[in-house]
Amino acid sequence: MNYRIRLVVNGFDYESDVKANETLLDFLRNQLGLTGVKKGCDGGECGACVVLINGQPVNACLVLAVELDGDVVTTIEGLDDEDSRLIQEAFVAVGAVQCGFCSPGMVIATKGLLDVNSAPTQEDINQAMVGHLCRCTGYSRTVTAVQDAADRLKARRLKQTILEEEG
Amino acid sequence: MSGDLIGKSIPMIDGLAKVSGKLTFTSDLELPGLLYGKVLRSPLAHAKILNIDTSQAKKLTGVRVVLTGRDRLYPYYSVAGQSVLDEQLLAGEKVHYVGDEVAVIAAIDPDIAAEALRLIKVDYEELPVLLDPLEAMREGAPLIHPDQQSNVPYKIEFSRGNLLQGFKESAVIVEDSFSTPLQYHGYLEPHAAVAQWDARGRVTLWIPMQSPTLGRITYSKALGISEDQVRIIQMPIGGAFGGKLEYKLHVLCALLAREANRPVKMINTREEDFLSGLPRVPMQIRMKLGVRADGILAAKETEIVADSGAYVNYAHGILLSACHRHDNLYRINNLHTKGFLVYTNKLATGCFRGFGNPQVHFAYESLLDMAAEKLSMDPAELRLKNAIQAGDTTPHGWKVLSSGLSDCIRQSTNGADWNTKRQQKQENKRFARGIGLACCLHVSGNRTFLPYFDGACSDIRINEQGKVIVFVGETDLGQGALTTFAQIAAHELGVDISDVTVSYVDTDTSPHGLGTFGDRATTLGGNAVRLAAIDARVKLLTVAAAVLKTEKDELDISKGIISSVTNLEKKMTVAEAAKFGWAQLGGGLITGQGVYIPPDVSMVDPQTKYGNISCAYPFAAQVAEVEVDRLTGTVKVLNMVAAHDLGKTLNPLLAEGQVQGAIAQGIGYTLMEDMGMKKGIVFNRNFEKYNMPRITDVSPITTIFVESNDPNGPYGGKGLAEPALTPTAPSIANAIFNAVGVRIKELPITPEKILRAMEDSNI
Repeated sequence: MNYRIRLVVNGFDYESDVKANETLLDFLRNQLGLTGVKKGCDGGECGACVVLINGQPVNACLVLAVELDGDVVTTIEGLDDEDSRLIQEAFVAVGAVQCGFCSPGMVIATKGLLDVNSAPTQEDINQAMVGHLCRCTGYSRTVTAVQDAADRLKARRLKQTILEEEG
Repeated sequence: MSGDLIGKSIPMIDGLAKVSGKLTFTSDLELPGLLYGKVLRSPLAHAKILNIDTSQAKKLTGVRVVLTGRDRLYPYYSVAGQSVLDEQLLAGEKVHYVGDEVAVIAAIDPDIAAEALRLIKVDYEELPVLLDPLEAMREGAPLIHPDQQSNVPYKIEFSRGNLLQGFKESAVIVEDSFSTPLQYHGYLEPHAAVAQWDARGRVTLWIPMQSPTLGRITYSKALGISEDQVRIIQMPIGGAFGGKLEYKLHVLCALLAREANRPVKMINTREEDFLSGLPRVPMQIRMKLGVRADGILAAKETEIVADSGAYVNYAHGILLSACHRHDNLYRINNLHTKGFLVYTNKLATGCFRGFGNPQVHFAYESLLDMAAEKLSMDPAELRLKNAIQAGDTTPHGWKVLSSGLSDCIRQSTNGADWNTKRQQKQENKRFARGIGLACCLHVSGNRTFLPYFDGACSDIRINEQGKVIVFVGETDLGQGALTTFAQIAAHELGVDISDVTVSYVDTDTSPHGLGTFGDRATTLGGNAVRLAAIDARVKLLTVAAAVLKTEKDELDISKGIISSVTNLEKKMTVAEAAKFGWAQLGGGLITGQGVYIPPDVSMVDPQTKYGNISCAYPFAAQVAEVEVDRLTGTVKVLNMVAAHDLGKTLNPLLAEGQVQGAIAQGIGYTLMEDMGMKKGIVFNRNFEKYNMPRITDVSPITTIFVESNDPNGPYGGKGLAEPALTPTAPSIANAIFNAVGVRIKELPITPEKILRAMEDSNI
């Protein structure tokens, strides 16, 4: 039996039919082709499938698609604004990326964190990232990347403020 | 010299593709008409298959193919370059571990395939289960593979020097037993494959594979076709660590696709990946070490029992490595070693970062500290007295052309404030701090299992826009090989790195390199790319010289501009020269080819195990500082100082990333990770129960690079990624001893083991 859901994904409206047991992860990957959302464990333990639901980072494998109705979902593909680009560049610049399979989830989590906390401490970052497994990097650069991203966003805001004052 | 890129911290050239989710991994691939395959795995550790009934599964709407090992006889499955034929593609008569492949299904969607699995009925007759290798190797034990003489498919024994004399000269003899667990690779991308056959009977496999060339050899045999009928297109690899060499799922996917006449995709669930991955070979190691009063190592006797699991896979090579490699770390001449590879009814084991070295170094480096303790000698001093030096030829015939081992020991201990911290231990009633050192070595570009083929090759093309594309057989596992190769090519060609692309391996178009393992990618592949770029550069300059009416030796390239060194007016861009060349060649591109065959390297003699097996040998020393909680037994790693002799640091950003990641994986191996068995089934087969380090579990790491400039390495460089994990476990174990005076000889070092040991020794 299928259920009709209505939701917004990456700014677009969707009306789709989903199975009762279809996870948001499978819906995003298989129905919408949003394969930047990775399936690492399908059990809520690795964080590779994290997306934002109404701005909150959530493991997409732990949510049934049918539970979403009228919600706003952002996947890595939807992070195409200037702030998100700066976050992504920070991850690459400091070497917080190796194989890249966990990276989209980590970038989403960073976006979710920095949206509510513009100057996170190491403890804040640990808390935001403890659900994300990375086997390649050893995590110390994950912390650096989030801090670097926060700095980049701050610099951008400062620049914007100056431009606004001048203009 | 054209560019200045060697030694520069260049971020990954494919980094943005990864962080933006744009990189297409195997599981993301779609093809028209794609079917989804699933494996039915054995629920029993050892059983006879009496009957398989697939009739209900075949009737399910949407099922296209069901294959079992009883319908037909498949060729044996065995990895490249070895001849132990102990594994079948699908179990026909018997299953040998929980997870063994019994049947495969292809259906129009994954849910139907999963449903069909449940409809297959298999009748088993249970057989005695052997989980302990010591029990399995005992005379009279039931045979796991009845066509073999015993449960010991492979034995090693060798001697060097005079063992008795060595022990006679020893002032101190230490002897103990050590054991190491099953460690899961824990790559974030589970195994996956897509296969499709064409009308001419060729199969294309899209797979995340470290060694497409080895895959072609193995899979062609298993599919009963010639090697050229297998095309492997390497997909981005979401972590490998040795776990993504040959893997049977790839062949099963091809089998289903052939039978269905449709493309098929297969992806392991995480649970399947735990059950049927090829984790690190567990070893039980007994070692006896004799040291003279002056601290010179005099004799060593080693006996290793390696638990292969149900099949041999690469475990015979891993056992040889464990028996053999560590003897070349220090100067020691009197040796006797025995190794036994043993079958058990557990999942087969395989290659994993270090290839036997982390296991045996845990024993050796622990024992060295035990000897130092007895001699009342500083452990760093003991190691410095014996460290192998450049110019040494070891008792196994290794020619060590560069060694930064002594510098690694000095610099890691200095960096960790060793002398102060060893002498003034910080402790209170509950918490005790300790500091420990361990060293290791590895190979870099060693001879593999194929007697007829070694080295690496690269092709470079420069298109008419002056953009460079590099083809090489060594793969990027996420460590950044693509970036290093691009860096080398850009450096030699004098172009910007953004003008260089490195192709993923496609066995139809790439040179047949053996791939990435044994720390060979940068050493062998890097040399090949360098030579290919130099070759292309000469051709580019020949074209430019004709246009500029000068000699090519007069020309240099820098920042994409070719100019005369004597007349700066004479210049043109690389793009312009490439376009002239392309036009002259009737549309052909300027190309370069580089072939690198390491000099003076041979396979070991099968009997004596003697031979210079690698063109370069990396070394390392790590110092761990820990805090042990006497109340709970928990260990916190406070700090790691890792000094690595990598010959020459080609890209510090990426190199340091390897050390940090390896130490995190090493901390997991030391303190947290163990695939536990209950009745032969891995009970912690998910990330909830299998404890891999998270962001809160890792310590600060200081990385020091020692540049010993190996004469064979590209720009002096040699491998780094594998040895970076090896010393972590013994350095932590030695630090724990330093902190609380108990020596844990069984990995992982859990709080329970520490509490028990403290209780036993009344601490």
